[in-house]
Amino acid sequence: MNAWIAIGALAVMGVGIPLGMMAVSALLRPGVPEQGKSATYESGEIPTGSATGIQFNIQYYMVALLFVVFDVETVLIFPWAVIYQPALASGVGLATVLLPMLIFIGVLVVGLVWAWRQGAVKWVSSPRAARQKTERS
Amino acid sequence: MEPALLQADQLPTWTALAPVLALAVTGLLLLVIDSIDPNDTRPTLLAGVGTVGALAALGLAGWFLSAGTGQPSTNGAITLYGDALIVDGMTLFFQALFASVTALVVVASYDYLRGRAYQAEFYALMLFAATGMALMAAANSLAVAFVALELASLPSYALVAFLKRDTGSVEAGLKYFLIGALSSAVFAFGISLVYAATGSLLLPDVYEALAGDLTGLTGVAGVGILMVAGGFAFKTASVPFHFWAPEAYEGAPAPVSGFLSSASKAAGFAVAFRVFVTGFPLEAGVDWVLLFQVLAVVTMTLGNFAAATQEEVKRMLAYSSIGHAGYALIGLAAFTGAAGGDVLGASMAHLLVYGFMNTGAFLFVALAEHWGVGRTFDDYAGLASKAPVASVAMSVFMFSLAGLPPFGGFFSKYFLFMGAVDAGFWWLAAVGAVNSALSLFYYSRVVKALWLDDAVSEFELGSTPTALYAAVVFAALATVLLLPGFGPVIETAQSAAAAIVP
Repeated sequence: MNAWIAIGALAVMGVGIPLGMMAVSALLRPGVPEQGKSATYESGEIPTGSATGIQFNIQYYMVALLFVVFDVETVLIFPWAVIYQPALASGVGLATVLLPMLIFIGVLVVGLVWAWRQGAVKWVSSPRAARQKTERS
Repeated sequence: MEPALLQADQLPTWTALAPVLALAVTGLLLLVIDSIDPNDTRPTLLAGVGTVGALAALGLAGWFLSAGTGQPSTNGAITLYGDALIVDGMTLFFQALFASVTALVVVASYDYLRGRAYQAEFYALMLFAATGMALMAAANSLAVAFVALELASLPSYALVAFLKRDTGSVEAGLKYFLIGALSSAVFAFGISLVYAATGSLLLPDVYEALAGDLTGLTGVAGVGILMVAGGFAFKTASVPFHFWAPEAYEGAPAPVSGFLSSASKAAGFAVAFRVFVTGFPLEAGVDWVLLFQVLAVVTMTLGNFAAATQEEVKRMLAYSSIGHAGYALIGLAAFTGAAGGDVLGASMAHLLVYGFMNTGAFLFVALAEHWGVGRTFDDYAGLASKAPVASVAMSVFMFSLAGLPPFGGFFSKYFLFMGAVDAGFWWLAAVGAVNSALSLFYYSRVVKALWLDDAVSEFELGSTPTALYAAVVFAALATVLLLPGFGPVIETAQSAAAAIVP
């Protein structure tokens, strides 16, 4: 017997049981329409505003940009870290292995310090945005 | 690196990249200065550091050129990092060009930026863009070409949109960015197709693979080469990716327009020359010479005819820069294999002369913007009586751009068209000559407005911006001096070009 038949049977069961349960409950339960049931579920809170007009603070953008820089840095450091020990063991000089990565990180550090001094990571509170927020709620 | 070559008086091979490193380090240094002093309280220091960095790169490139680094006189080209980078005569020639344009523009920006915010960022972006261009000239692998092109492009987008409260500048930046993103995608796709057909990104390997048997992959390679050409067409502002140029040059701060239309365009040509000549053999795949013949004719005709109909000086210069991209494309369009070095070298020399005269012309526009006179030809009327020196300089740029005899632009065009005729493409030279005659019409309109027309209304120019003035005058001097000094330039360019022809 093909081993995939068992997997196929499991898939049929996995899809069939929840569908069957929902079908059975739809047939058996009484229908009582009520406004509270069609409202958006927000963990028991009364929902406010609409879901389509969500606005994020533009300052998250700076944080995201800085994140991407260091994300890419990690991608390059990772393979380097893997070959670091074997390279040293096989007799490649410390300067050849370590120095390029130090320069690379140094360049990024210059950029980070610059961004920090320019206030890219400082959270500016906007009085207007805060006022709009209190007016809405 | 071969140990036998390491003599006591020889520098390690990585120092051949010194011009690139000088630009990159200067950019970083500007960021450090800006971190210590975020409010730009010392604009002179910022402009000074930028100028010194650019001049250092120019000095290094010039020194290497005269010392024969990477040239046939000293063991030929130097390749670094698994052949990904190459330093030879052509690399150094273009690096010297980028460094001189950067120095001119940085000096001129000192006055243009007076009182504006984010000055350190402006200079840093400019030097990073110059680093990217210098790397483009040194690219020996398609991957490096792509990364360097992006390194040159990304700061340029930010520079075009630098006046962020100015709608025109932001709109120009957005258009430039969108078309840049599109053409980068086309370029990357082209690279992937060439890689698929040849199995290598290194240009010499690509050359060998294309010259050999492709076993049914000729179509893939051909489409790839076409798309790579599209990527370069964006950078050089040639048809069919030229739409961004008038918008970006008009909306951008004038020094940035000068930087983009001279250095950035030359960078596109530097990498295009290298990739097509050393990467794609003429015998196999697509006949890219035919492609560039069509592009050259269409680009120069479209650029010149569109320039003739403009009312604004900056927009006219933008279209004229498209026209000049068409002339420079003759270097590839009249390329004939082994003997192609001459016309290629003439094209390089034309780009060098163009770098000075075109940057100078845009800097004159910056001067006019600084004074607050308008943007159209009519607004320039009578300017000569108020600012005679700058007007003489502008007239030099205009006549040199048109290719009139007593200026540098004459010889570079002459050699370019002669090269095309020698290669057997007399009709390319004829189209170029007709276009040059047409261009004289709209260039002379500027000169006529400056000297002959009377001012429509009374106006005062206000203070004279020393640095901007100095940059304009220096560019004019270089344009004039390139006439007697054209011999060494064309010799260097042609021997550098001949050295890369495989």
